[in-house]
Amino acid sequence: MKAIQNTLVLVLCLLMASPLLARELRSIEVDDTSIDLRVFGANGNKLLLGFPCDEGKSVAEEKTAQSLAEDGIEVWMPDMLSAYMLPDVKSSLDKIPVEAVVAVIDAAMKTNKQVYLIASGVDTDLILRGAAYWEQQNKPKLAGAILLFPRLFKSEPVPGQVPEYIDAVGKTRLPMVVLEGERTPNRWTINQLTTALGQGGSPVHAKLIPSVRGDFFKRQDASDSEDMATLQLDGLIKASLF
Amino acid sequence: MTRRIFLISLLLTFVSVIHASELQPYTASAATPALKLRDMNNKEHDLNQYKGQIVLVQFWATYCTPCRKEMPSMNKMMTKMGKTPFKILAVNMGETEDEVKTFVNEVKPAFTILMDPAGNSIADWRVFAAPSNFIIGPDGKIRYTLFGGVEWDSEELIAKLQALAK
Repeated sequence: MKAIQNTLVLVLCLLMASPLLARELRSIEVDDTSIDLRVFGANGNKLLLGFPCDEGKSVAEEKTAQSLAEDGIEVWMPDMLSAYMLPDVKSSLDKIPVEAVVAVIDAAMKTNKQVYLIASGVDTDLILRGAAYWEQQNKPKLAGAILLFPRLFKSEPVPGQVPEYIDAVGKTRLPMVVLEGERTPNRWTINQLTTALGQGGSPVHAKLIPSVRGDFFKRQDASDSEDMATLQLDGLIKASLF
Repeated sequence: MTRRIFLISLLLTFVSVIHASELQPYTASAATPALKLRDMNNKEHDLNQYKGQIVLVQFWATYCTPCRKEMPSMNKMMTKMGKTPFKILAVNMGETEDEVKTFVNEVKPAFTILMDPAGNSIADWRVFAAPSNFIIGPDGKIRYTLFGGVEWDSEELIAKLQALAK
């Protein structure tokens, strides 16, 4: 009886501990800065390097990362904002040194896995800059990048005028997949964006996610379709890893 | 101290948002694009038929929060423009009739909603975000543009638009 009881307690402990074991915290030192990294380890040969920049808030991303790891895709989530003590606003992106992004990529490449970059919204600027800088240094090839509803205009679009994209657009040869929400004005300019992204030599593929707005997995007022898409985010990402 | 800096930044952001939502004189030399679309009753509207009037052409979507917020002020604007010949053509950006109908029943716009299921006018008018607004003068030329939500029935805005008719 006592043995059964002990076994039950052990099983219960293991069940409770398993989600925690999947998420390992590491840090990477760049000059005098320590970049915290959430690592969802996996045995597969693909590594997804996400730049969510919001430690503690990215609930959906963490669940997705967990699910991808269970399917053999390792996920790293470096917290670049906290590392440089920056607030979660668009202008902070310019203050993250591209060398730090490259240092994180370097660490990921040392695993000898195929490394993919992923970011959403305005954060996609960071991975484009990082990838361009990486290529300039003739480093080994990255496998690709996933841009979730990228927001890459230099400034607010003026009606009637073709807006300029930020400088990082069209500066890399990295293969890319752009995922855009169907319920966003940006869906109408997706061809323009893919053309601009491809100007550096990148093969770019774009897909529309039906019935969702941009940032759908971060929204407080998510619709049923958006909740469903959030649950399927791991599948969408997996299908985008070429 | 940090709190004070944060509050000042917030205030500056707020001020810049207000500033951004102002009518901007249209300086490009390009001709006014064509706009020929059907309303929710399947009636065709051609921008050309409104020559001699001031027209607000707005590109909007039900999922766009500022669009939803400003529509009641557009209803009030219709009244406040008084005897000035004025028309609003609110072009929906590629949504289904069911999606738009639900919204219309809720907001009850007192102006014309045009449907553009294929999104052709969005490209023609170079619209990259919602809401995107164009003010067309009585001569059919674009006079102002405005990006973002705004209280359309403000005294200042009404006066600026009425001045176009003089």
